Amino acid sequence: MSSNLKPVSVIAVIALILLAPTIRDALREEAATYVNDSESSHDGLPESWDDSQVLCVIYPADSPHPKFNNGVTMIETDGSTLGVNAEFNGTGACVGGFTGYTEGMPFLLDSTNATGGNLDVGYDVTEWGSYVHTIGALNANELTGNFSGAWWELRHNGEKSMVGIGDLIMSEGDVLLWQIATS
Amino acid sequence: MYDFHNVALSPNQSLLLNITILSVIIFAVLRSERRLDDSNPLAMLGILAIFGIAGRVLLDPVPNFQPVTVIVLLAGIYYGAPRAVALAGIIALASNFAVLGHGPWTLFQVVGWGMVGMAGAYFSDHLLKDGQIQLNKLAGLAIISAFVFDWIISLSILLNTDVSMLVPYLLNGLLFDLYHAVGNLIFVAWLASPLGEIMLRHRVEPSSQAVSEVVTN
Repeated sequence: MSSNLKPVSVIAVIALILLAPTIRDALREEAATYVNDSESSHDGLPESWDDSQVLCVIYPADSPHPKFNNGVTMIETDGSTLGVNAEFNGTGACVGGFTGYTEGMPFLLDSTNATGGNLDVGYDVTEWGSYVHTIGALNANELTGNFSGAWWELRHNGEKSMVGIGDLIMSEGDVLLWQIATS
Repeated sequence: MYDFHNVALSPNQSLLLNITILSVIIFAVLRSERRLDDSNPLAMLGILAIFGIAGRVLLDPVPNFQPVTVIVLLAGIYYGAPRAVALAGIIALASNFAVLGHGPWTLFQVVGWGMVGMAGAYFSDHLLKDGQIQLNKLAGLAIISAFVFDWIISLSILLNTDVSMLVPYLLNGLLFDLYHAVGNLIFVAWLASPLGEIMLRHRVEPSSQAVSEVVTN
């Protein structure tokens, strides 16, 4: 009777070790809860990111990101997926859980780096500062449509940023959001 | 001079060291039992408590892998609910107070393990037949106990948050519950038979011998 319980227990340990990462990710997505407070700059973001710094990139409906095109994918600092918020306004990705950044540019580069190349940033350094033209393979300069120009617009805690990313001073809990604006 | 206490161990080395120490303790427990007088359940409970505390503290680096649940379950089966609950209390309090950290959660752990011990006592007729521990049934109960115990502990978050957080919290902890369940399976498979044999030898004798007789003239 005891003879088969020992091998079964060893098999169970091996199976658990192999499956643990998959189970953890599946459970985390299932268990993720989102802030529901339209007054908060963290509205729609995971509750576990409260008080941490977050970067979001939202894509236009006619030029969705090849990977993040269904809801907004929430990505942790280590690159793992926390969940997908299907009720977010638009599609794209947010990277969050950061603390301690005081300048916009290093935060933009580090947070997008955490996505393993999915949100790579392209920018030019001009005499007026850094100009971001590409995020996650979408180059705003190449967009065409019923407008004369398109660019990546930076929003800082829900408000249009008055300064460029290179001059932005950040505080704890700040949310930066990039979206395409046209004129 | 070489400062031997200053050697930095990696987490894996530290765990290996702890498992070695635990093996020595298990070996010593098994040896020391032979010197006990026949049927000495209280001394046996003391030995089980040492094993439980040492196992819990030394295996702390492995998430939710510890022998206490199975030990308390066995104590319930062999020695009844009151002693199993006492054992649960001693192990939780001693290991938390000495090393792991004491707080409101200790009470939840005592309640959780106490209920595991009571379950063992309640089902003892099914789990122990003719002095033989029914390993497969015990494994089943040990796996269920892992989840029930963890969920009782999880209730402690209600001290700080409201009920709406409970379900996400339980879902997040499900992997740790699985660690606990598989750990219990391991302990049942490898330790329940030898421990059960020892505990059987020190089981409480039928009450006929314990009745104090009034001396009549």
